[in-house]
Amino acid sequence: MAPLLASLAASALVLLVFAAARRLSGRLGHPPWASPVLTAALLLALAMPAIGVPLARFTAAAMPLRWLLGPALVALALVVDANRALLARNAVPVLVAVGGGTVIGLGSAVLLARWLGLPAELAAAVATKTVTTPFSVAIMMRVGGPVELAAALSVSTGVIGALTVMPLLRRLGFAGSAGPALALGVAAHIVGTDWLTRRDARAGGLAALAFVLAGIVAALLVPPLWGRF
Amino acid sequence: MRLLQELRGALAGVAAVVPGLALCIALAMAGNALAERLALPVPGAVIGLAAYLGLLLIPGDRLGWSRSGGQLLLRWLGAMLVPALLGLGARMMLLADAAVPLAVLLVTTTLVTGVATAWLYRLAGGRG
Repeated sequence: MAPLLASLAASALVLLVFAAARRLSGRLGHPPWASPVLTAALLLALAMPAIGVPLARFTAAAMPLRWLLGPALVALALVVDANRALLARNAVPVLVAVGGGTVIGLGSAVLLARWLGLPAELAAAVATKTVTTPFSVAIMMRVGGPVELAAALSVSTGVIGALTVMPLLRRLGFAGSAGPALALGVAAHIVGTDWLTRRDARAGGLAALAFVLAGIVAALLVPPLWGRF
Repeated sequence: MRLLQELRGALAGVAAVVPGLALCIALAMAGNALAERLALPVPGAVIGLAAYLGLLLIPGDRLGWSRSGGQLLLRWLGAMLVPALLGLGARMMLLADAAVPLAVLLVTTTLVTGVATAWLYRLAGGRG
């Protein structure tokens, strides 16, 4: 097949499978563990070799989609813009919480990876686990880090955070919705935000604000510090 | 006649998203070019994001025409991440070999991050 045609076909297939995975997640009531990104990747990883298409070739052909990740990251400005009233009302506490939470998230992951003796490539990949996947991919591409591993760790973190952060905060007695919403945005990014938005739109707005701001903080901090730890 | 109307509707839908798509693509490319040229230690797309946000915050909603295209990109953002996960390939073994310490790390740091964020918000006097 001509490369252009193969690219179009592969990209269209990813979109189609992702749409199906999203519909399935909706049928199940949008539980965090049924993340459409994970389901779609799993389905394609099983299906492609089964029909005789090497996964590496399929992935290379789907490059146009990956290229669109940059423009999609730019579009995240719309999320901040849509929630700017929430930010303006509480700017200092929101920025302190998101900035501090992101730094603690990045720092704890890097230190724990060293303490646990993880292999170098994995230890490098955890540096961006606390930011949402489009940011972790962009950061790793900029510094030449392990893009695929970082993407996998970001998605997993989102699922883990969406399942565990809220119950823990409630148990620790954090009242109100704003603090826990920001916490979920920083710790569980898009997956957590998506889960929260379906239950409480205003809190979901704060979480969305938090995951975009956390991504910006990480994008400013990680590249200059890359390789120094 | 009805087919013609539907076709016109579909074309109008496509036309509505083109300006926003084009703007986001242009800003991402400009951000990349700037980051390369000035050797900035920031991903180019993040510069594009900052520029777009700056433009959106100008009073008067001058960029209202770009919203539907931008929203389209956001709606399909998840699909754009699928190739990155498929690219894991051989590295799956690396993940599998370190599964236990990795799971400990992910759960611990995610909970620490969440508690720290909520606690800092309260400490800084956040309400609601």
